Amino acid sequence: MQIEDDEILQGFVEESLEHLADIENDLLAIEEAGANIDEDLVNKVFRAAHSIKGGAGFMGLTIIQELSHHTENVLGMIRSKKLIPTPEIVNVLLLASDQLQTLIEDVANSNEADISSHLGPLIAITEGKFSQPSAAKAAAPKPEPKIVAEPEPEPEPEQESEPEPEPELELDVEPELEIDFEPELEIDFEPELEEEPVPLPKPSARTQTAAAALQSQTDTAKAAKPETSIRVHVSLLDSLMTLAGELVLSRNQLLQTIGSDDLRNAEAVGQRIDLITSELQEAIMLTRMQPIGNVFNKFPRVVRDLAKKLNKKMDLTIVGKDVELDKTIIESINDPLTHLVRNSVDHGIESPAERKKLGKQESGLVILKAYHEAGQVVIEISDDGKGLDGDALAASAVNKGLLTHEQTQAMSEKEKVNLIFLPGFSTAKKVTDVSGRGVGMDVVKTNLDQLGGNVDIISEVGRGTTISIKLPLTLAIIPCQIIMTGGERYAIPQVNLEELLRIPANQVKDRVERVGNAEVVRLRGNLLPLIRLADVIGVERTYYDNYDGEVKEDRRKMISDRRGKESPAFRKDGHEEQRVEKSDKSVRSVLDRRTSANSALNIVVVSTGAMKYGLIVDRLQDSEEIVIKPLGRHLQHCKGYAGATIMGDGRIALILDVSNLARMANLTSLDGTDRASEIAIAADEAVRLAKDKQALLTFKSSQTEQFAVPLNQVERIEKIKREDIEQLGGKRVMQYRGGSLSLICVDDVAMVQSIADLDDLLVIVFNIANHPVGLLAVGPIDAIEVAVEVDDVTLKQQGIMGSAIIGGHTTMLVNVFELVETLFPEWFEHQETFNFNESSNTPAPTILIAEDSNFFRNQVKGYMTEAGYEVIEAEDGMIAWEKLEENADIISVIVTDIEMPNMNGFELTEKIKRDSRYSHFPVIALTTLAGEEDVARGKAVGVNDYHIKLDKERLMATVHDYIKRLY
Amino acid sequence: MSKQKEQQKSTSGKHIVELATFYVGDALCGMDILKVQEINKIMQMTKVPQAPEYVMGILNLRGQIVTIIDLGKKLGLGETDMNADPRNIIVNTPGGHVGLLVKRISDVVEADMQRREPAPANMGGIQGEYFNGVYKTEKELIGILNIDKVLSIED
Repeated sequence: MQIEDDEILQGFVEESLEHLADIENDLLAIEEAGANIDEDLVNKVFRAAHSIKGGAGFMGLTIIQELSHHTENVLGMIRSKKLIPTPEIVNVLLLASDQLQTLIEDVANSNEADISSHLGPLIAITEGKFSQPSAAKAAAPKPEPKIVAEPEPEPEPEQESEPEPEPELELDVEPELEIDFEPELEIDFEPELEEEPVPLPKPSARTQTAAAALQSQTDTAKAAKPETSIRVHVSLLDSLMTLAGELVLSRNQLLQTIGSDDLRNAEAVGQRIDLITSELQEAIMLTRMQPIGNVFNKFPRVVRDLAKKLNKKMDLTIVGKDVELDKTIIESINDPLTHLVRNSVDHGIESPAERKKLGKQESGLVILKAYHEAGQVVIEISDDGKGLDGDALAASAVNKGLLTHEQTQAMSEKEKVNLIFLPGFSTAKKVTDVSGRGVGMDVVKTNLDQLGGNVDIISEVGRGTTISIKLPLTLAIIPCQIIMTGGERYAIPQVNLEELLRIPANQVKDRVERVGNAEVVRLRGNLLPLIRLADVIGVERTYYDNYDGEVKEDRRKMISDRRGKESPAFRKDGHEEQRVEKSDKSVRSVLDRRTSANSALNIVVVSTGAMKYGLIVDRLQDSEEIVIKPLGRHLQHCKGYAGATIMGDGRIALILDVSNLARMANLTSLDGTDRASEIAIAADEAVRLAKDKQALLTFKSSQTEQFAVPLNQVERIEKIKREDIEQLGGKRVMQYRGGSLSLICVDDVAMVQSIADLDDLLVIVFNIANHPVGLLAVGPIDAIEVAVEVDDVTLKQQGIMGSAIIGGHTTMLVNVFELVETLFPEWFEHQETFNFNESSNTPAPTILIAEDSNFFRNQVKGYMTEAGYEVIEAEDGMIAWEKLEENADIISVIVTDIEMPNMNGFELTEKIKRDSRYSHFPVIALTTLAGEEDVARGKAVGVNDYHIKLDKERLMATVHDYIKRLY
Repeated sequence: MSKQKEQQKSTSGKHIVELATFYVGDALCGMDILKVQEINKIMQMTKVPQAPEYVMGILNLRGQIVTIIDLGKKLGLGETDMNADPRNIIVNTPGGHVGLLVKRISDVVEADMQRREPAPANMGGIQGEYFNGVYKTEKELIGILNIDKVLSIED
């Protein structure tokens, strides 16, 4: 085969591929219409086939010519209604058009191709021998049904009688015309679009099909033709020409002004050039914009074929074909989208029988939708299938060893659904050849990440799944944040940017923490893993000196380095030590780097889909629109960069690839969040262990002061109206359960603001000394369980035990006993106390108190001494044991806390009970939270009685009880 | 295809090739001048952390990003002294423009390729694999660089 003119051949190929792309959707529409033949549509397909045949004949491409000829014959019969386009017949036609496409994509070798497998069924159809179901079956799955193929030698193209003579004229000229007259071609198509009765939503939006067809074809034929071409509307080219002309004019002006030294004019020219440049940029960008329909158009066929194969019934709705995206993006989303659509059809939609059972329509619906949102394009693939079951996914991830059970428990439903993107994850129970080889979704995600896109899944079990993909309009020009590290500038794409964070020098120590080698920062309650850009890319750590504008070497190893060896989260007595450090710091010179502005941390918080982390950089600069330029092949393996860009001063800045940076820093998506949450848990744990947890009820009395009482002392809470309160005999009472309830206020005893003047009040009911008493309060009330450090000095006064910071408010802890004791001393007169001094001459019994918290120890000690006992104090179990050995002869009862350093209450009790010398001592355990497990464990080691801290009454009753038994 | 033919003509047909010669360290090297796009002394490079050691950085050549390779380092002759007024030889390769940083540019030498001799295994400390051969002039010995090999990225 000699082809004289490459250009004509190229023209033929492009145009034929264009025709074929149309044919596919049109054939599907014809199939849909069935016997109700739409003549216009059939005509169109017929003409397309005819054009290909004509062109191929002209070029001497006999095989293409032959195949298109037979296709045309069948179409001719459909047009003249001699044949009803059953799905089987359409299938044969579709397969033939596929074959045509492969032939045309490889024109040079097309004449050697074997097409007998396609010719057979086609000829059989024209001759009426086509036994529909069986032949179709044979033809559809395997392209080798030799049985029918052989007998008929192909007739000459000229033999056919159906087609009208007129197309012959057009076909000779067409190959040459096609490029020059392109706008006309497009106009040609348009009327057809309007006339179409739209049997399906598919064959609409035909305006851009020319470009579309070319695009999608060049896509698949990429291997064969590395040089791709693009179709541009002439009007756009015209406007580009105009702009170029203006640019030339402005240049001339500029040259003139430069010669004349006229500054004011130069400014004007500068502005003009600026304007033209941006316009030119926009216009050129437009030439790269392609409708997403290019990609969407192939899905009707994909869905149809798949549905057939899987015996499912499917409808596909496509919305927003006209949405335009950059050519490169269009090319690259093809594969991910195909995968997602196939997934929806294969895994998402149930079989018709199943759907019927579920009360759904038998045919499943897949919706492909594209639309603009906030400067980005969103593509949604939704189905009304069975949806994703987050728990099943999580369980599967655990089974595969990708996650631990604990990790999944902490996950939200959405996070679970997003597990599908984990590498090595596949939901299909069995692997089908349609989709699901276990490499799918994570590849989809990686591909989309590379495009700067985001994937999100919303799924409802039984209702369906919606996958939405957010893509930038173009990749060529992107807004970026410019940062500086190690004296060089880098750009971070704005799509990855979440926020910029500057931690002032004096907060660095408190907000940045280190666990192992990982550094994290507390950001609004979450822990954010930190990466130092300088470390990841391996440059010397520097910092930018604000005073002299120089970049200096940084010698600190860790941002969170501090003089103490432990992080505050793990310090047992962090409170004191911090205070010491602070006072220490103020002594240092102002120029000390730890306190100077230079030590502030500049953090760029970036996100890559699921993962979020902070990148520590030297300096933050402006945000700029940059043009991405590829890096040379010598730098291809530098994964940390997405490319480079040229800055205003002509120098180059590298563009950072934040997801690869994370990978380089060994911060893979789950790791990152995992590690952060582990650290968070560890930190919380450490804090919790260091301090006991307290269940408290917080309330207010005046509007401004917050109070708290131990929750376990509270009997109940009543809502009352102010008029319910009766003032009788100088006392406040209210009717309560058929009796009178004495009402007290915190301000009756303590020097605090008086109760708020509200109509709605609360009464917190306590039972003290066998008398119910109500404490008047106002909301909001809250029951909380917190680990608080109680300050028993600053705010201590009568009725107030001390204070603590709860939820950011300084909260006073109310000592209800003291309140009641002060107001109703008579209640305690009959109280059973042990007045040994009066009853005997023996020295007062001694009680050993083991408690690590000063506050609680002092409280308990207070109760005991008040009742007349001697007290020996111990700060932990170990000391208590020593004291016990020393003073075993005088000690009567041991009262111990459970949570203590060195030796806890259980251990202490066990030791005491095991030792025959001491096993007779009653041990009363005090706890803040008497959990059932704790009680059981306590009983097991030999705790005689359990009491709640601050429950003075019961504790004392027990102590008296034991003492009495001893004497 | 046609380009290859042309090259064949110029190399094996007439056997005369113009060599652009330059010093890498103390070794005189040459390459077909037709492969050289330009020679410049733009030294305003941006360092690329994590790049191979022999990559000096990237520079902006009229809007194109060009990777600059220190030929001295690449050939194992030690770093090129940036203070000694070095030059970039910009080579157009299929993968984009690449710059070769050399110590000094020397003459253009017309060389008869038939008189080219095979390269020794090691020439002035440079591995023989980087050379297509050596060419003797009256005064000097020119190592003819195998640019494809020099620019390959296998390592």
